Amino acid sequence: MNMTRLKVTFSMLMKEFYRNKAVMFFVLLFPILLMVLFGFIFSDQDEVQYILPIQNMDGGSHSWNFTQTLNDTGLFEIRLVDTDLDPYDYLLQQKTNTILVIPHGYQAEMDQIIIQRFIMGQPNNDTANLTLIIDPASTAAMVKTQMLDSLVGAINKGMAGVPDVIGMDIETTVSDQFKAIDFFAPGIIAMSVMTTALFGTVGMNTELRQKGILRKLATTPLTRAEWLVTNVLYQFVMGGLSTISIIIVGMILFGLQPQINLFLPLFIILNVFAFSGIGMLITRFVKDAESAQAAANAVMFPMMFLSGTFFPLEQMPDFLQTIAGFLPLYYVNEGLRSAMINPDMGVMAFNALVIGVVGIVMFILGILLTSWKDE
Amino acid sequence: MPKPAIQVRDLVKKYGDLSAVNCISFDVQRGQVFSFLGPNGAGKTTTVEMIETIRTPTSGHIDILGMELKKNRSSVLKRIGVLPQDFNSFDRLTVRETVKFFSGLFNGIRDVDELIKLVNLEDERDKLYMNLSGGLKQRVGIAVALVNDPEIVFLDEPTTGLDPRARHDVWDVIKGLKQRGKTVFLTTHYMEEAEVLSDYLAIISKGSIIAEGAPLELIDKHCNTIKMTIRGGPAEIENVVRERGLTLEDAANGDVTVQIEDNAQILDLLNLLKSRNLSYHSLDIRKATLEEVFLTLTGESLTGELAEEEPSTGELAEEEPSTDEQAGGMPLTGAPLTDNQATVEEPLTPGGDVQ
Ligand SMILES: Nc1ncnc2c1ncn2[C@@H]1O[C@H](COP(=O)(O)OP(=O)(O)OP(=O)(O)O)[C@@H](O)[C@H]1O
Ligand SMILES: [Mg+2]
Repeated sequence: MNMTRLKVTFSMLMKEFYRNKAVMFFVLLFPILLMVLFGFIFSDQDEVQYILPIQNMDGGSHSWNFTQTLNDTGLFEIRLVDTDLDPYDYLLQQKTNTILVIPHGYQAEMDQIIIQRFIMGQPNNDTANLTLIIDPASTAAMVKTQMLDSLVGAINKGMAGVPDVIGMDIETTVSDQFKAIDFFAPGIIAMSVMTTALFGTVGMNTELRQKGILRKLATTPLTRAEWLVTNVLYQFVMGGLSTISIIIVGMILFGLQPQINLFLPLFIILNVFAFSGIGMLITRFVKDAESAQAAANAVMFPMMFLSGTFFPLEQMPDFLQTIAGFLPLYYVNEGLRSAMINPDMGVMAFNALVIGVVGIVMFILGILLTSWKDE
Repeated sequence: MPKPAIQVRDLVKKYGDLSAVNCISFDVQRGQVFSFLGPNGAGKTTTVEMIETIRTPTSGHIDILGMELKKNRSSVLKRIGVLPQDFNSFDRLTVRETVKFFSGLFNGIRDVDELIKLVNLEDERDKLYMNLSGGLKQRVGIAVALVNDPEIVFLDEPTTGLDPRARHDVWDVIKGLKQRGKTVFLTTHYMEEAEVLSDYLAIISKGSIIAEGAPLELIDKHCNTIKMTIRGGPAEIENVVRERGLTLEDAANGDVTVQIEDNAQILDLLNLLKSRNLSYHSLDIRKATLEEVFLTLTGESLTGELAEEEPSTGELAEEEPSTDEQAGGMPLTGAPLTDNQATVEEPLTPGGDVQ
């Protein structure tokens, strides 16, 4: 690894980038467009306070306490639904997208769990289940799902240490200013950075190969590894620019209030690492430009739709959720969302580890499997 | 005698069933211009790119500057300069930035502006590469090949697609390199270029070297005849030629080409024409060229395209024993020529071999 050669090559690529309006568009404007588009879609929804119809079939004190807790967060405008109604009919008739049903027997079940765990000292995994019915086509419903998920998670966490459920303070876990855009911005960032790194790497390398420039570079002292490293550095800059443009537009237009911590750049870097590595491997095995683009698309689409960028995974069939577990972008989404909304060291570290391992493996494969020469 | 700059032994490159290079061996002496002459698809690029370390030989042995190539890739790369066939560079760098970038990769030895001057690109210094014409791009490539002041310079078809002036500029650069003691490995399918520039050349066809030697040596050895073309005369001239028992090469459009074995035959024929009052427009007498050597050896045309219309100048013409016109520069493949026509090349499809 020769620093002078890295520097010379990197500054050359930056100069080219600066003069290339098409790439500039792809890196800066495209993510902004995406952000604006999503921003308007979501600001259209019943924004800051989400309407949450609750049908309490149980009626016990626990269930009312739970309802009260949700109400106290200020995140939801609670509407109580008549217990005689069919919840599915209610969804249809009221043209709403979500209804939370507290089933009959919730109180009894919860009491039993509490007695077993805390009085009889028998640890178990039982839960007293709530039913959330949502309209799968509604994006607002997804946001509500996500919010309720966090809230219930917080309550459960509290229960492990403190036997008294009702007195839970949940204010700290989800910020009051939590908006739909806060939930979607990390997804858009993860996706834009992935697309930039993947298509940037594939596009640049197939073009340079077709023009014979790689062949020329191969006759200079620049090594293959140095070239790969410069490519990744270049893609870091691109990913960084995409991220910054998304965050700025989100803040100005939609009042995005991201948590800023070191995990944000870390996930961007790991995301770039993994996907420019995958890009390298694609150009290594798929030689002509068009097929390489197609291969990159084949990588991108499942990532986009199956890793929780647009649709919460909970809504998807089990086998798709299993597949999501194998998609690197899933871990970027989860980690970045945690970093930007609700920093949780355990969640962030786990996801960073997974995507980090993927990135390093891809990069090492890239160096080992590709060479300047023909094969 | 010093060790040759390049030693190639039993070099083979197979692509599937095709032997692109079929067990060739040759030496390139230091300080010489060595030309590889052959038609499209002969295996020229495949051979040079194996020497340049960017293709892997199927088998065989290459020594370069006294080092075994396989084991000394990076030290070899520092000491050679390469102009690949169909050179291309980054679109959005200026000429100066391009030369500077490659110079930076080598820890540049030669002054960037001096190199730009050497290839006559001073006026284009700040133009983006993408906005240059093909010939100018090629010249950027030559400058780039020289950034590390290499001991051996590989030029794969450096003048293909250039206009006659630009071609002569490139020839001057090559002559300059030779004067500075550099070894030049030139690949071309212009026989004129090979004749004018090279100290030694190898003719390659279908992956094998079919002849090698100094240009004049090759001509003397394989095709030692003189050709005389009588232009713009009446048809009877053909009969006179037959009457004299001379070999008629070609007769078309009032031009008659005759093979001459002995200089005395020229005078004899001309006298006979005079005595019969057969007048003609002009005479053209020349020695055989590499093109004919190639034809003799393979029965195939070298270029398969319009040959150079340009009269060759320089060393060779002066050495021609019996011509009153220039040697070597006449059309060889028959098509009529117009003045100042540039040779247009089909774009080549290179192997796409990198990575
Ligand atoms: N990567 C490759 N894969 C398969 N065949 C190849 C490859 N590269 C070259 N060849 C074949 O090898 C032969 C020699 O090609 P090469 O490019 O060396 O010819 P050349 O003498 O340089 O021709 P030109 O004057 O057109 O440049 C050709 O038949 C070509 O089709
Ligand atoms: Mg070639």
